[in-house]
Amino acid sequence: MPLHDLGYRPWSGQRAGPGAASGVIAATGIRLAWTSRWLRRAVLFAWSPALLFAGSFFAFEQSIEEGRFTSLKERARLGRNLDGVGVLGTVLADTLGRTANERHVSEAQDIALTRRLVWSRLLLAFMRAPQAVLLAVVVGLVAPSLISRDLRARAWLVYFTRPVGRFEYILGKITILTTIVAAITVAPALALWLAGVLVSPSISVAAQTCDLPLKIVAASAALAIPTVLLALAYSSLTTESRIASFAWFATWAACWIAHASLTTADLVAAAEAPAIAWETTDDEYRPPPRRGNWVARAAGLDDTLDRWAWLSPYHAVGVVQAWIFGVETRPRAVLPPAISLAAISILSAVVLARRVAVPTRA
Amino acid sequence: MWTFLRRRGGAAHDNGRAAAEVYGRHGERSTSLTADAALPIRLDSVVKRYGRRTVLDQVTCDVHPGITGLVGPNGAGKSTLVRAILGLVRLAAGKVEVFGIDPAVRPRLVRQAVGVVPEDECTVPGLAAVEMVRYAARLSGLPGTEALRRAHEVLDWCDAGQERYRPVETLSVGMRQKVAFAAAIVHDPRMVILDEPTNGLDPIERRAMLGRLTTLAREHGKTILVSTHVLPDVQTICDRVIVLAAGRVRLEGSLDELTRPVVPQLRLEATGPLDACAQLLRDRGIAATRADATTLLVSAEQGRGLDEVWTAVRASGVTLRALEPARRRFEDVFLQAIARSEEGEHATS
Repeated sequence: MPLHDLGYRPWSGQRAGPGAASGVIAATGIRLAWTSRWLRRAVLFAWSPALLFAGSFFAFEQSIEEGRFTSLKERARLGRNLDGVGVLGTVLADTLGRTANERHVSEAQDIALTRRLVWSRLLLAFMRAPQAVLLAVVVGLVAPSLISRDLRARAWLVYFTRPVGRFEYILGKITILTTIVAAITVAPALALWLAGVLVSPSISVAAQTCDLPLKIVAASAALAIPTVLLALAYSSLTTESRIASFAWFATWAACWIAHASLTTADLVAAAEAPAIAWETTDDEYRPPPRRGNWVARAAGLDDTLDRWAWLSPYHAVGVVQAWIFGVETRPRAVLPPAISLAAISILSAVVLARRVAVPTRA
Repeated sequence: MWTFLRRRGGAAHDNGRAAAEVYGRHGERSTSLTADAALPIRLDSVVKRYGRRTVLDQVTCDVHPGITGLVGPNGAGKSTLVRAILGLVRLAAGKVEVFGIDPAVRPRLVRQAVGVVPEDECTVPGLAAVEMVRYAARLSGLPGTEALRRAHEVLDWCDAGQERYRPVETLSVGMRQKVAFAAAIVHDPRMVILDEPTNGLDPIERRAMLGRLTTLAREHGKTILVSTHVLPDVQTICDRVIVLAAGRVRLEGSLDELTRPVVPQLRLEATGPLDACAQLLRDRGIAATRADATTLLVSAEQGRGLDEVWTAVRASGVTLRALEPARRRFEDVFLQAIARSEEGEHATS
């Protein structure tokens, strides 16, 4: 017998209470997921757009610092193009144009108001355009194997023969994905906000924009909850992670294509018979114009109602995030996507809860 | 004499209290009347159906402290029974109690007290052996540092320490079995349930595994429930046996009682003129039959002493090698019980 073999010894310590298992599952799952080189690359890559957006924050604050705010505003009011400063130029032109008529406020108030709008739009654009797409990729890398691999390796016995309930198990898996989602959405967006504060002329800007971090978290939650639940539901439906992976990417692609097709059909119909297709008094049903700047559209510059947004998770999440950032305020625009996302979340949660219980009862 | 041997036909049986064998911490074996709640497992008229198929049909039995073998042919309902004990399946009828707790009501409490080694390999791919055992400990509620310390300790005890840093999925079947066993006992459960624990183990490892089970039961007072097809293993380590067939308990009792022959007999092993010895015994009115080339089965009925047997042995000139109470092989007992149950099924249908 080896010297270090102490034999079997009883143990009588204090056990962790209910709920601790979720944390253990999450911590182990994150550690295992992080061993994937592809995931590490994807997460690293997901931070790169933040650098571009940080440049926009810097440029905006620099223009205020250098006293160019009034001249920029005047140019925007006259409809001049500000595209010379990239994404910021488009966002700024639109925002300054909107606030140009508010003459009753002081310049300081005007700057604060504009800053809030510009920052909100930049953060919204950041979360909608690059991060939502990267999220689909990262979740597609991690989620499909989270439950399907447990089913294939019969690892569910590791959990359910121990004091772990199925909801703790599901919560643990959700936490794994949510942490990864947070690493590519919340963390860089908060870093952007912090960068904005640091490059602004005064630290009081932090107090002026203190609601933005909360909005970032809320917008990330709107993005994470339906997508994470949907991805895990797919994973629970099969023992082959590649099938779950295919279903995940197919859903995003198919819904995107469906949304694009229907929107294009609306455009064609509007062009051919505007009087029939669109009531002249109801401009909410005017189809969105075809604007090339994807990031600018993501920033909410396009104020026409996207009536097919509920069809596509990407577009639906975008509308809800726009509502969270205060960019979209029309209930008719927000409600259908919100209901669609809620339906996806509830359905996925039900599927997940049922499927996770199946192996133990078979 | 055969009051312990209760053949079951599916009807609910009297759950009257039986004397339970209790093992002390130092391995001494005593008999005491235990309270109902202290029984490790009590199953009362348990019925489980999958659709129209009845998998467990009025199963009533107790698991006492010590080592109990759960045996039965494939599809007998053993795995379902284990799942019922863990509260993983919803029962159509009946009641299960584990240490007096209903696992359907408080599954967490039951699973804290139980360690399970499933039949099929179940691992978390990507984890090393020690991480796997530590993970199992953490899931059972052990704090992080303690979990790691215990993981190393039980892996050493299970003789799997040399492979502890290898990913579980790259281990041999036998090594994986040892890791699964280590994961089942790392949180020091009161009861360990094992499904085919010696699968994939070589003869030396198999013996070592059975030794570990015996140590846990005798020295640490654990209750062990072993579900297996390997009947010699059952005969080697089990104190009690439950035979399950077609979802019903066909036989339950202590192994001593079950393997005792219907008529008390002595097994006489000798070399030399065995036939002459047998004839001498018969002449003295003692039934003796030839079991094989070197063995006689001698009736020990009506309190006939050994004197007459000794006299016959000396007179016949055989060289005695062994004289002991005859035991039936458990395999014969098992097959007989299964055959009876099949006859019963045919008669019913």
